[in-house]
Amino acid sequence: MEPATILVVERDILVRQPLAQYLRDCGYRVLEAVNAAEARGAVSTGRESIDVVLMDVKSVSSEGGFALASWLRSNHPTIKVLLGGTIAKVLQLAGDLCNDAPEGGLDYRSVLDHIRRLLAGRDQRSPDRRDN
Amino acid sequence: MGVVPLQELDMGPIRILLVEDELFVRIDIAATLRHAGFQVIEAACADAAMEFIESGEPIDLVFTDIKTPGTLDGLALAERVRAKYPLMPVLICSGNPELEGAASRLGKFVPKPYDPTGVVRLITSSIR
Repeated sequence: MEPATILVVERDILVRQPLAQYLRDCGYRVLEAVNAAEARGAVSTGRESIDVVLMDVKSVSSEGGFALASWLRSNHPTIKVLLGGTIAKVLQLAGDLCNDAPEGGLDYRSVLDHIRRLLAGRDQRSPDRRDN
Repeated sequence: MGVVPLQELDMGPIRILLVEDELFVRIDIAATLRHAGFQVIEAACADAAMEFIESGEPIDLVFTDIKTPGTLDGLALAERVRAKYPLMPVLICSGNPELEGAASRLGKFVPKPYDPTGVVRLITSSIR
């Protein structure tokens, strides 16, 4: 059986990469979109079969995660949409997915800690740049 | 010459930083590279790629398109990578063959559209 496909929508590479790799390590096929436009493109062409969209409501793009989630629910109701309000919540949702995955049981908290270290390092390098 | 299986390289997971702004091109080439056994970090622009590099996360090779949105293009990214990590292999691709000269001064030129087998072979030979 083919693994489920998860589309991760996240503009910040320091969050998206560890999150996507975690889900891959859990056995999922993972696609990455950096903004809502890419996510819409990935879904609407029908080229990719996507089962779940996972995103942080604040880190999708200027359009915002709620607008994308609403569009997905209206136009692609079979796709499960998981929306977190913080990075920690998104990682927790990923952890829940991982528990149901072929290679399940990997702890999301170490990934969350890793992301927090990456973001703290960036804040130290560029104190005026708090968000990508 | 065929592609050398990664197991024969006797190395850990090889991490490729892929910079490509066209979504489906990025999806396809990333899938090809993952299928070949590489770990792929996807960036949609050179600025994000540079940010990833500056984070200190390990990378073994940079594979970038020249034309990318943002403040840096692929050539500027390659130049910065060269300055920071002189030994890191950099593959620079473009659909414009006139850019081969500029690209070849900073890394290996890869013409677009990609030949997936050729790309895997080139990456494998670059990191040996």
